[in-house]
Amino acid sequence: MGEVVRDVLEPFTTSVTLRIRYSARQVVNGAEFRPSTIVNKPRVEIGGDDLSTFYTLVMVDPDAPNPSNPSMREYLHWLVTDIPGTTNANFGREILCYEGPRPALGIHRMVFVLFKQLGRQTVFALPEVRQNFNTRSFLTENYLVPVAISYFNCQRETGSGGRRFAS
Amino acid sequence: MWPHEQRDRHHKGVSSSSSSSRCSPSSSVLPQTPKRRTMEELWKDISLNASPPPPLDYHRLQADSSLHSPSMVLQDFLAGPLNQPLYQPQAAAKELLPPPLQTALSLNSGLEFQFLGEADQANTQSNSSSNNINGNVANGSFTSYDFSVGPPSPAALFSFCSRKRSTTESHPGAADRHQKRMIKNRESAARSRARKQAYTTELESEISHLQEENAKLKKQNELLMRSQVAVPKSSLRRSSTAPF
Repeated sequence: MGEVVRDVLEPFTTSVTLRIRYSARQVVNGAEFRPSTIVNKPRVEIGGDDLSTFYTLVMVDPDAPNPSNPSMREYLHWLVTDIPGTTNANFGREILCYEGPRPALGIHRMVFVLFKQLGRQTVFALPEVRQNFNTRSFLTENYLVPVAISYFNCQRETGSGGRRFAS
Repeated sequence: MWPHEQRDRHHKGVSSSSSSSRCSPSSSVLPQTPKRRTMEELWKDISLNASPPPPLDYHRLQADSSLHSPSMVLQDFLAGPLNQPLYQPQAAAKELLPPPLQTALSLNSGLEFQFLGEADQANTQSNSSSNNINGNVANGSFTSYDFSVGPPSPAALFSFCSRKRSTTESHPGAADRHQKRMIKNRESAARSRARKQAYTTELESEISHLQEENAKLKKQNELLMRSQVAVPKSSLRRSSTAPF
């Protein structure tokens, strides 16, 4: 987990709960999801203390297009801002709509990062394209503080890489 | 016919009689898969046949070799008194060999043909004469069943290594490509290991969290149960009645 964190941002301590679920299946760090199961956006429930604190959720692929040659690192799959604490992502503003990952090569890590915003509607610096997104600079530009992180692995539908873990 | 041979076996050891049967030309031609079936059949038959005539003997023999799987026992059967078995199932047990041995060998005569085929590949740790080959071949084939690693692996390794070497030296620039490929592969392997490690640590922490939660909830539950018993259940009462 630490390695995933370091690839995307500076190490931090988790302070808010983040629960992500695709259909009936909960996202556990390092679990494998095939593209067909993640076509639609997941249900994202966040913790936090109250409704007056707002959070931003990003979903990035640091291994795009190929983990051994991540020239498009990071690829932004989803961006939601102004999520009120203790609610879920449906209550936020979907800046970039959810794009289901479809990796062509290799086994990619799909990383969710939850940030605490300075206040409501304080996220101005928005990316223009999905590829080569930089989470670190995004958070500095928008005065965001990382509070939670989660990730899963994804490979192409008919891929045979990696160990078969019970899903 | 059989008892006569059996006596021979006693004196010369199993291998001699079986070697005569082994020398038949059909030995190496037999395919792999029938061997497995006959192996299983052999085991089935042994357990079946061994029970009637001297059931005690067979069991005693097995009891002595309790730590070892049946393969060791059969190996002893085949090896006969001439071969030193890898462990000592006691001299007494050897005397008991004949009756079960009879059954083993009567079934075994068909098998020994296949054993010879196995011997070509088998990396048997045989330090012995041809007399012992049968015993050791059996050992090799049995280990291949027991541990399913056995003979094929060294041969497979050799062919793989030689294949690799031959292709890399065929044209120039291939070495660089090979090098790059190797580096990429190494990175990929490292990623794979990291992935595996991350997942297992994740599962472990999940487990500990769940265990804690479970313990906490159980305690809570217990407290609630106790408090429920102590206080009589309060029933719902009407505070006011509306006209409708």
